[in-house]
Amino acid sequence: MRILIVEDDPDLCRQLSEALGDAGYAIDMATDGEEGHFLGDTEPYDAVVLDLGLPIIDGISILQKWRADGKDFPVLILTARDQWSEKVSGFDAGADDYLTKPFHTEELLARLRALVRRAAGHTTDTIDIGGLMVDNRAGRAFVDGAPVKLTSHEFRLLSYMAMHVGKVISRTELVEHIYDQDFDRDSNTIEVFVGRLRRKIGVKRIETVRGLGYRLVDPVTEEAEK
Amino acid sequence: MQGEVKQTEDKNTEQGRSLVWRLVRSAAMWVVPAMLFTAFSLILFYRTSIYKNFNDPLVNTIQALVANMENDPLGEVGEMSAEGEMGIVLANQPIDARYQLALSGRYWMVGELDKDGKLLPLISSLSLSDFSMKLPLKQAEKIRANKGEIIRTFSIGPDGEPLSLAAQYVIFNERNFVIAAAADRRPAAQAVRQFSIIALGLLTVLALGLTLAIYMQVRSGLRPLFELRDSVVDIRAGRTRSVKGLYPKEIKPLADELNSLIGHNRDVVEYARTHVSNLAHALKTPLAVLMNEAGGKKSDLARIVKSQTVTMNKQVDHHLRRARAATRGQGIGEKTPVNDTVNSLVRTLGRIYRDKDLDFHVDIDNKLQFRGQKRDLEEMVGNLLDNACKWTKAKIHIKIEVDPDSDANIRITIDDDGPGMAADQYDNVLKRGTRLDETTPGTGFGLSIVNDLAIAYKGLLELGKSPLGGLRTILVIPMVRE
Repeated sequence: MRILIVEDDPDLCRQLSEALGDAGYAIDMATDGEEGHFLGDTEPYDAVVLDLGLPIIDGISILQKWRADGKDFPVLILTARDQWSEKVSGFDAGADDYLTKPFHTEELLARLRALVRRAAGHTTDTIDIGGLMVDNRAGRAFVDGAPVKLTSHEFRLLSYMAMHVGKVISRTELVEHIYDQDFDRDSNTIEVFVGRLRRKIGVKRIETVRGLGYRLVDPVTEEAEK
Repeated sequence: MQGEVKQTEDKNTEQGRSLVWRLVRSAAMWVVPAMLFTAFSLILFYRTSIYKNFNDPLVNTIQALVANMENDPLGEVGEMSAEGEMGIVLANQPIDARYQLALSGRYWMVGELDKDGKLLPLISSLSLSDFSMKLPLKQAEKIRANKGEIIRTFSIGPDGEPLSLAAQYVIFNERNFVIAAAADRRPAAQAVRQFSIIALGLLTVLALGLTLAIYMQVRSGLRPLFELRDSVVDIRAGRTRSVKGLYPKEIKPLADELNSLIGHNRDVVEYARTHVSNLAHALKTPLAVLMNEAGGKKSDLARIVKSQTVTMNKQVDHHLRRARAATRGQGIGEKTPVNDTVNSLVRTLGRIYRDKDLDFHVDIDNKLQFRGQKRDLEEMVGNLLDNACKWTKAKIHIKIEVDPDSDANIRITIDDDGPGMAADQYDNVLKRGTRLDETTPGTGFGLSIVNDLAIAYKGLLELGKSPLGGLRTILVIPMVRE
């Protein structure tokens, strides 16, 4: 999962990126409105954390522009402005959630998780695919009840595929959603990760669709369909 | 402070009742004396002129009588006196027909004046016959003392009528005679009386007419002032935002100044709000950084930072609320449509609580307008609805109507089907905002914010049991009356 943080306070920005990084997200940061708007406009994020009082372009204007351009990623407004009039204008501009400063990191993480899974059409943090349990809240995975040891990149990959279970996901899409902007994007590394993941959760759970990408499946129902 | 203001107001109303009344009163103060003076001058003039016309014939008659007096050689007419003095005769008698008619009110006589003031006729008009007219003693003396002069006086006629009388003392052939002519005073007095009544009546009508005209003039002259007053009342009641219309050049500067004052007031309130909001943003981000930094750590420093940042955050919240409250209720001429605000809040809350699958039922009178700022209405209704959404199982009913107890207010009733609240907790929840150290965000804090705001708008917030089973909140706030 890849998240954009638009926040002009450098310390808060750093704290947010550490906390979200620890929680298994790939993070991009922007410290002014113009850069924030540009990144949101050009990169496929799974969620955005947006401050309202920003240099150059304010948060509400950025949000309105994104929505006008058809960007539908979930946006969480993180601001010190706690009046209802401000909340209403935030939601009317197209926000999906609103959190006021100061805030607890756990609260922010819970709300982001909820936004991401809701955007992908899931109602709980835990996704069960034929014995494979992906717990996005704890950042862990289980196969038939036994915990699987995963690196953070491996978990990000699994988590993204689990969110879009049954759908074919291209390598480019995986790269875009798993790595942040500054990462060296070599799609070969994806193949390496997929290979390692298959070994850990079972080869049949990840199908390769030739020329298109990968697909996470439930091997039992897949077998039955065939 | 408030008591003082009220006292001065009372004093002012006592001192200057109404401008119209003052102007009409001062006009009446010269109109009424001027009219009275005119009336009396006219009556006096008329009376003088009437009596002059009336007296002239008497003088003429006396002069004619004097001119026609002759010795009576035969002694037939006018008996000789006891001392053997000669009698008199008249060559011609005055020809006015009234002298021939008995008791006609016109009389003359030639005769003697006795010491009692009685006129004893020797020769007299037929009308007088043998009647002796009596003069006041003082006048009789005056006639005797001023021989040859015509003296005017009063008497009583043979028919008992009041008479105007002219008399002259003459010496003829060494004998003293009195010549007198008299006329009934009543027709002249009657004419003067009639004239007085008509003159006073006409002048009273004129005075009333003038006063009325002055009243109308004052009213139309002061109309722009009254319009200005109505405009100010409209602004206070929230029906309009500024003084509109064309005003004459004498009070146009006042209207303009009023508009710029209202504008200035609005700017100041807006500036104060923006300033407070900016301060909030400026302080809360560093607070968030400090709290996050200390959050996951176990050291003494982290513990102190954590507890101090919590205190600082409470302080910031407390002073923000006070600063916001200070700017409340000061916006002049603000009005906010209620239905727009409530609908956008319902939409927003639906998104915030989208996992809860809420069932909103909104019953709203679309014409209602809140007399105050939009953001304050949002803050009040937003907090109440947020509280309801937090506790409800699913149903939330919102009813917005004109307050049945006072048509100057709007009543907003919000019901939920949550667990509700014990009746003895109501006061506690509403008061919680009054003392800083008792406030804990997230536990009914919102209701005390609403309560503070409602009080700032001279409204009220009541809690009760909802027919749906949960909490019922009733908010009463001022309405704009069109």
